[in-house]
Amino acid sequence: MLDAVDLTCEAGEIHALVGENGAGKSTLAAIAAGELSADTGEIERNGRIGLVHQHFALIDRLCVWENVVLGREPRRLATIDRGAARAFVRDLGERYGLDVDPDALVEDLPVGIRQRVELLRELARDPSILILDEPTAALSPGEVERLFSTVARLTQNGVGALVITHKLDEVFAHAERVTVLRRGRVVERRPVAEITRDQVARAMIGGDIPSIPSHQPTNGAVVVRVEDLAVPGAIEHLSLHIAAGEILGVAGVEGNGQSALADALAGLTPFRGTIDRPAAIGIIPQDRLLEAVIPAWSLVENAMLGRERAAGNGSWRIDRAAARAQCTAIVERFDVRTESIDAPLATLSGGNQQKLVVGRALIDNPAFVIAYNPTRGIDIGATATVHGELLAARNRGAAILLVSFELDELFALSDRIVVIARGALRGEFTDRHFDRDAIGRLMVSA
Amino acid sequence: MTLSLVLSLLALALVRGTPILLASLGGVLSERAGIVNIALEGEMTAGAFAAALISFFTRDPWIGAIGGVAVGAAVGFVLGFAATRWRVDQIVAGMGINLICTGGAAFGLIFVFNQAGVTPQVPAINQALWPLVILGILLAAVLQWALSRTPIGLRLRACGENPHAARAAGIDPLAVRLAASAIAGALAGLGGVFLALGELNLYSDGMIAGRGFIALAAVIFGRWTPLGAAGVALIFGLLEALQFALQGNIAWLPSDFLQALPYIAALIALLGASGRYRPPAAEGKPYP
Amino acid sequence: MKRESMKALLLGTLGVVAAMSLAMLASHVSPILGFNAFFYGAFGGKQEIAETLASTTALLFPALGIAIAFRAGLFNIGAEGQLLVGGLLAGWIGTRIEVAPALAIAAIFLAGAFGGAVWGAIAGWLKAARGANEVISTLMLNFIAASLALYLVTGPLRAPDAAGPELSLLPHAYWLPTLLPQTRATIALPIALLLAFALRYVLNRTWFGYRLRAAGEAPEAARRAGISLSRVALSAMAWSGALAGMGGAALVAGELHRFNTQLSPGYGFIAIAVALVGGLEPLAICVAALAFGALESGGLALQAAAAVPKDAIHVIEGLLVFALAARRYLGARGATTQ
Repeated sequence: MLDAVDLTCEAGEIHALVGENGAGKSTLAAIAAGELSADTGEIERNGRIGLVHQHFALIDRLCVWENVVLGREPRRLATIDRGAARAFVRDLGERYGLDVDPDALVEDLPVGIRQRVELLRELARDPSILILDEPTAALSPGEVERLFSTVARLTQNGVGALVITHKLDEVFAHAERVTVLRRGRVVERRPVAEITRDQVARAMIGGDIPSIPSHQPTNGAVVVRVEDLAVPGAIEHLSLHIAAGEILGVAGVEGNGQSALADALAGLTPFRGTIDRPAAIGIIPQDRLLEAVIPAWSLVENAMLGRERAAGNGSWRIDRAAARAQCTAIVERFDVRTESIDAPLATLSGGNQQKLVVGRALIDNPAFVIAYNPTRGIDIGATATVHGELLAARNRGAAILLVSFELDELFALSDRIVVIARGALRGEFTDRHFDRDAIGRLMVSA
Repeated sequence: MTLSLVLSLLALALVRGTPILLASLGGVLSERAGIVNIALEGEMTAGAFAAALISFFTRDPWIGAIGGVAVGAAVGFVLGFAATRWRVDQIVAGMGINLICTGGAAFGLIFVFNQAGVTPQVPAINQALWPLVILGILLAAVLQWALSRTPIGLRLRACGENPHAARAAGIDPLAVRLAASAIAGALAGLGGVFLALGELNLYSDGMIAGRGFIALAAVIFGRWTPLGAAGVALIFGLLEALQFALQGNIAWLPSDFLQALPYIAALIALLGASGRYRPPAAEGKPYP
Repeated sequence: MKRESMKALLLGTLGVVAAMSLAMLASHVSPILGFNAFFYGAFGGKQEIAETLASTTALLFPALGIAIAFRAGLFNIGAEGQLLVGGLLAGWIGTRIEVAPALAIAAIFLAGAFGGAVWGAIAGWLKAARGANEVISTLMLNFIAASLALYLVTGPLRAPDAAGPELSLLPHAYWLPTLLPQTRATIALPIALLLAFALRYVLNRTWFGYRLRAAGEAPEAARRAGISLSRVALSAMAWSGALAGMGGAALVAGELHRFNTQLSPGYGFIAIAVALVGGLEPLAICVAALAFGALESGGLALQAAAAVPKDAIHVIEGLLVFALAARRYLGARGATTQ
């Protein structure tokens, strides 16, 4: 996983660690924080290293103060001194500009607030170094600014911050030094002032950035129409339409109704209002391992999922030859790299698994495609393949709903972008005139 | 119905409900720590049999009672050990333990007493019946308080919800789970002791009669809280008591229906209230 | 066979031999004499083999049923109740119809399957419609089935000619033909074996089996692929119960030749162990059922010959299951309570 990596982070500096997905960043962070152990080499820590996880490692059904004081509870006789615990959380929050209700249940909190809780939990342990693993993956642009101002406050107090990211904007806006990791090795380390964005990008990939096909204008008929959609607890009065040959991007902070919208369109959740869409639909679910594939099964069996009945051609028996042919077609067309279509899917890299998922959704040329974070957690090569295939499907005339937490991805692919916040559409940007600042503001609008 | 009849019915309900209550408290503890406890039945059996056996040989029912609790704890420890160190499927391991305990007790009867089905009469602690009933209810209240208000309670819940986060906070989830499973075994064992030495003065095959499983149902209906589980356990006790009280008194109601009453009630409760039940998030999942 | 399975099998066998030796030593019996008695009891002669096969049959039906539910991710521990209700309906139908024997036997099996299916489907419906935990519901249904059966055989359905609480004897023509004359080994065994092959085919080669496995292996992925988890829960539990119920019918028509409440000495529970030991694979379950059948009949012989209580066998079965649980992959493939 990692090979002879050395890394230092000094007191008071913001050090960016960049690299592609799978380069070993998270592994390095876990080793540094003592959650994993390395085969060889040593870690020298002056004080505690705190780790803020990419997928927050909070306990959902405990409240904020319980999460923060766990393992070092203030006591009054045999019991937890709850007053002291609450006051501790409030004080810490005031000191670092992280205000949170100490009694809120974590599972009720939006993503941005959860990250504050995780930060508070680590700060409660007085770290000398704080590692933030992809801290901005699910934050709105405003929240990102806020996070980095908190980090700046920390470094003023002498704490070193190691920020793991793959967003070069953040590196150049906030970090003092940058280390580039590729395939488990350090390939570049320099002060940010002495390196260009292009150099960092090339170092990450080890070559040129793959390009994606260019856009052609859209003027198809509307094939997906949503009128006054409501999903209890998630969406209210939402209307939208997508034309054939159009990619509609949905921008928003995680947890603002995107899942409910995608599920309602897919027919997976009850809703009010009307949805008018083609019957033939391809779906790329958001959580690959949980929602899209069965890792222990072979590629053939995974390629069949959702079409198992069609694979029988009307009989209750599965036509295995046809299923294998279909799987082979997906593997070839979507560049899924595998030794055999009978291998368990779990043996493939995340990017190749995702290519199979995308292939399964697109192989029959559905008139409507729902793609939910289609490139989350996969490498740049696979990302380029997925982006290219989505654009190809669009150019063949498919209507595509693209939900993504990465504005760059939305900007690269969408013909039109709508912004969703608190379960309603807050704005629309057409003709590929996308204003990053305006979108960022709408994402956090009430 | 006269007042005295109602009182005696309630008294009977408490006595019938207490062994279920004790086992269900054990179930709550182990499940909140993350270990599915399908082995309550076996732990009760082991506790009841060991209590009778030890009481028989020492002629001291208190040593028997302590022995029963200890054996229950040992069985819980085995389940906990297998679940934490060997990462077994906890349900399958629990089924195995149930088979071993019920088979072992029946084997022990013949091996030790050379008679099938039942031990001879042994010294009992019938005088401690009511103190044990009260102990059970108090224990439910204490555990409810301890789970929400004490550091160890918070840590135990953390292990059942997200052992990785607990680990990051410096807690050893394996140790907590192991301890919780052993304590659960001790409580279920006490439930067995209550039946063998409290209510009766012997062990007989099949005397647990599914109470361990009923206790498991009480854990779920009680939403994994000590007081909730205790309340449901006592309702099961009341249904059992009703069955005694109504037997033969209502001509049109067949007695076999009355026997099925607690189970039918549980099924109806399941129908009415499920979906709202959420087990601890990491329950049954091996760590790491 | 995978190396891991081989290793587990070898360790399991060694464990069983060791545990049995201990049990014999504890009972002051020489293990050599004990094993001799055990093997003679299980395979020593026509009668002994027939007893082993009869136990195998009784375990195989419910074990296959359990495998269906477990593969769908449903922890059905209600095979005992499903077997009882199936047997009850089979025993009742058998005394009510007058048709050609072959037809009658078919009707008896169908009735058993239907009764078990209904009993299983109740739990399936509770799961599908209300999200009710199937461990609890199937457990409760076991108790309810026992009470229901007792009520019916002591009351409304009690045979006028019967000595105890039981239904009337089936007409002799409806008794299952035996495989070995004058024994309890009947044609129910080949029927169960056929079902095992059929089940394997259905699980691996049909879209129904595919959906069932997908729902068990990765419910969220299956749901998002358009597989209705409710429908899978309902149908898997119904089929699971149907097979257990056919087991009840086989016991009624093959062994007791009538229904009474002593129909099953816990076959539905031991069958859980059989299904798990068989790795939830139909053909492996057949082998496991044979092993457990031999344990049951050999255990009886051991009890008779060497005064080692038969219950020792349950301890051994429990140890086997417990040891098996330690195999890691079971966690991924097996059912869970959630």
